[in-house]
Amino acid sequence: MKVTLVSRSGREVIKGGIELADGATVSDLQEAIHGRIKKYYPSRQRLTLPLQAGSQGKPIVLVPKSKLADYCNGNANNLTVVFKDLGIQVSYSTLFFWEYLGPLIIYPICYYFPVYKYFGYEGERVVYPVQTYALYYWCFHYFKRITETFFIHRFSHATSPLSNVFRNCAYYWTFGTYIAYHVNHPLYTPVGDLQMKIGFTFGLICQISNLYCHLILRNLRSPSGNGGYQIPGGFLFNIVTCANYTTEIYQWLGFNIATQTIAGYVFLIVASLIMTNWAFAKHWRLKKLFDGKEGRPRYPRRWVILPPFI
Amino acid sequence: MAGFLSALRRIYLSLYNWTVFIGWFQVLYFAVKALREGGPTTVYDAVEKPLQLAQTAAVLEILHGIVGLVRSPVSATLPQIGSRLFLVWGILWSIPETRTHVLVSSLVISWSITEIIRYSFFGMKEALGFAPSWLLWLRYSTFLILYPTGITSEVGLIYVALPFIKASEKYCIRMPNKWNFTFDYFYASIIALAIYVPGSPHMYGYMLGQRKKALSKSKTA
Repeated sequence: MKVTLVSRSGREVIKGGIELADGATVSDLQEAIHGRIKKYYPSRQRLTLPLQAGSQGKPIVLVPKSKLADYCNGNANNLTVVFKDLGIQVSYSTLFFWEYLGPLIIYPICYYFPVYKYFGYEGERVVYPVQTYALYYWCFHYFKRITETFFIHRFSHATSPLSNVFRNCAYYWTFGTYIAYHVNHPLYTPVGDLQMKIGFTFGLICQISNLYCHLILRNLRSPSGNGGYQIPGGFLFNIVTCANYTTEIYQWLGFNIATQTIAGYVFLIVASLIMTNWAFAKHWRLKKLFDGKEGRPRYPRRWVILPPFI
Repeated sequence: MAGFLSALRRIYLSLYNWTVFIGWFQVLYFAVKALREGGPTTVYDAVEKPLQLAQTAAVLEILHGIVGLVRSPVSATLPQIGSRLFLVWGILWSIPETRTHVLVSSLVISWSITEIIRYSFFGMKEALGFAPSWLLWLRYSTFLILYPTGITSEVGLIYVALPFIKASEKYCIRMPNKWNFTFDYFYASIIALAIYVPGSPHMYGYMLGQRKKALSKSKTA
């Protein structure tokens, strides 16, 4: 069959189109495009069916494993596919590694090295136990994140645009510096012993719960990277859709209860807003997919992200 | 009921736009008068009250956007009003040493001409239902000059204020305190300056896009 490849403005991306076998898959098409235009490796390609003129809604995205013939409406010999260049892509592992590396390095620098001298604070620094525990807690957290990235998470998309590296690193590294500066400050005021213990203990329990949530999510996906949706279940997922975000938010709350800085609480609020956004999207997606019709199970009533509030 | 609310909205917005228009007209009038009579160092004292009133009233526009009274996206109005309020209250009012600088003249003249055009444009649309094409053209063309002059004045005045901010230690919160919080107005002002670097091309580009849309629409209308 012949595939005509056009850009969103209608221009032909590959003159004359591409000839493929009738049983070819979308993946074969992607390889063919990459073969003709070297810089467009498959993860950079977004292939969709053309939208009917005047129709609303999102275009249908071609799935790599599907056969091209499945997308042909009537004409089995000709298919027009719309191409969009997603820009330079990096793997999610790369993205997560770099954004987590910043906090993992910057925080200990503020703890161990005399950086505050450059801000005008001379002399010896008294280090409180809470500051040392905070260092361990923080580093454990980001070490855990990096480990999960390489050994636990199964990503729905293989790659992310390069621009996200800069955006995400700016977010994590800036907030990491902002918090590290204040917790390790020579004029830091610690909270009481009991409050510190409650904070770190609660946080640690949430971090371990978060790890367990990630293991559950991992097992929802097959290793072949199907990326299909399933109803999460087990542990906290029985009562809240995004239990992984829930435990992450409460874990930061534990850290803040123990360390008590405005910087930490600002980060908590911003991170919670971002995760709540994601959680709503995921919750509605699952409710829409599992509507109880045509033999599909119905998505149960659950909290979205932060019981007992939302 | 709907018709009544819609009429109420129109009356309110007409009143709002024309009132603020008068405020900015006063700013321009007193500024030019002071320039001719006393020179650049006297401009601030002449315009202070109408400037503070007219610019602070603009906070209402964020509210208008949030409740849906007007269509403007909050994302475009917030940085604009933020920088204006920072200059009026955070720099000129807080750091008196900046008030006699010549950039104050270019600042208030750039701002007032822009705002006079903008508020009369919206005032006419709300009150009369339309705005004359020459006003539309002014609204989407004068920014080509006034944005650069205004932004340069803003950046320049913040820069001029920096040593005074550092010396006065104004608005600074130091540690130790119970919430382990610090705020340094000097560094915050430097960050504000840094935001102008990506922010100015972004705003200018946004207005260029608006200009294209508005002027081409009027041609076909």
